[in-house]
Amino acid sequence: MLQEIDATVLEDTVLSLDDLARSCRVSREWIIEHVQWGLLPDKNLIETDPNVWIFDSHSFLRIKRIVAIERDFECNPELAGLVADLIEEVESLRTRLRTSELNES
Amino acid sequence: MEFKDYYKTLDIARNATADEIKKAFRRLARKYHPDVSKEVDAEQKMKEINEAYTVLSDPEKRAAYDQLERQGFQAGSDFQPPPGWDAGFEFTGQGFSDAQAADFSDFFSQLFRNQMGNGARHAHRMRGEDHHAKIMLDLEDSYHGTTRSLTLRMPKLDNQGRTILVEHTLNVRIPKGVHAGQVIRLAGQGGPGHAGEAPGDLFLEVHFKPHPRYRIENKDIYAALPVAPWEAALGATAKIPVPDGLVDVRIPENSQSGRKLRLKGRGIPAASPGDLYLVLEVVLPSAATEKARKFYQTMAQELAFNPRQNLGV
Repeated sequence: MLQEIDATVLEDTVLSLDDLARSCRVSREWIIEHVQWGLLPDKNLIETDPNVWIFDSHSFLRIKRIVAIERDFECNPELAGLVADLIEEVESLRTRLRTSELNES
Repeated sequence: MEFKDYYKTLDIARNATADEIKKAFRRLARKYHPDVSKEVDAEQKMKEINEAYTVLSDPEKRAAYDQLERQGFQAGSDFQPPPGWDAGFEFTGQGFSDAQAADFSDFFSQLFRNQMGNGARHAHRMRGEDHHAKIMLDLEDSYHGTTRSLTLRMPKLDNQGRTILVEHTLNVRIPKGVHAGQVIRLAGQGGPGHAGEAPGDLFLEVHFKPHPRYRIENKDIYAALPVAPWEAALGATAKIPVPDGLVDVRIPENSQSGRKLRLKGRGIPAASPGDLYLVLEVVLPSAATEKARKFYQTMAQELAFNPRQNLGV
């Protein structure tokens, strides 16, 4: 008998700063700095106490991406942020392109 | 198990300098970066590149690996590490995580398994690592929820306290309403905890397989709705299949191709559900029969219609 387990969507659970830092293998300070530099989608976080921050799927994937870009290319955070912005933009344009090609398929 | 040629993976010479290795890694990391690469097997390639770089960028691992090659092992040859092959090498360099190890090949884990599970070796209390992966779902899964069988490679301690990779299959109940770009969390399904601490979690990034009929944009779904010219002109009610069943759709009169009909709340059934958009596509009956040709000729004569009026001709 296979083990059955329930999956939960990130938005339905709470992903705290500590959870996120551990999961992406960076320090709390690393994330706090990146938030302060405006590299995460939720800019409102800057004004609030890091201990009450919670992160959604988008923030999770974006941080994971920035961590990987900074590590693989040993680049500075702003450049990693710019690359992440461009990747997200390409993804959104590709999605819209697929939608607009509906009547051509 | 096959012997792997890490130099070939990074496309570098056997005597490459540390700087050349780093440059080669970055060049390939750019080429195969899974987010942008157009190569079909980018993700697998990236794992191989990471594995090769983990070994060749660490002087101790590289020296140990080079020695094996000097013993006559070649890429593709059947390989079992000779007993005591790593004697005399002290692996003190930067280790690698359980999560990375789960991504790497059997070849790698055979060679460097004594290094795996750093937490276990130091025997300090440490929660297991979180693992990250992707999951491909069908659009229909999101409408009904689904159970998926996942096979994972998990590091585990064997009787001698060494870390080995074991395959582990589990059935995962995916809730209804998930959509692409969301992350789902499987509590306790990451790396094992050390010294009695809890295991890590497994995070899965949701992707949808391409669907022949539907295009998905966040929580909204788009589908083409083919209509006859008279349905578009006069208005009609059409029965059409949508992801959660059949619906009757009212086509407003005087519609043109490209008009979008919105079925509110019939997109992905998330907490705040998306919408379903039907994009009208007027399909002309073929003029293959005499009867059809006559109809078209009558229309041409009777309707004063110039589709190029906007072009000023």
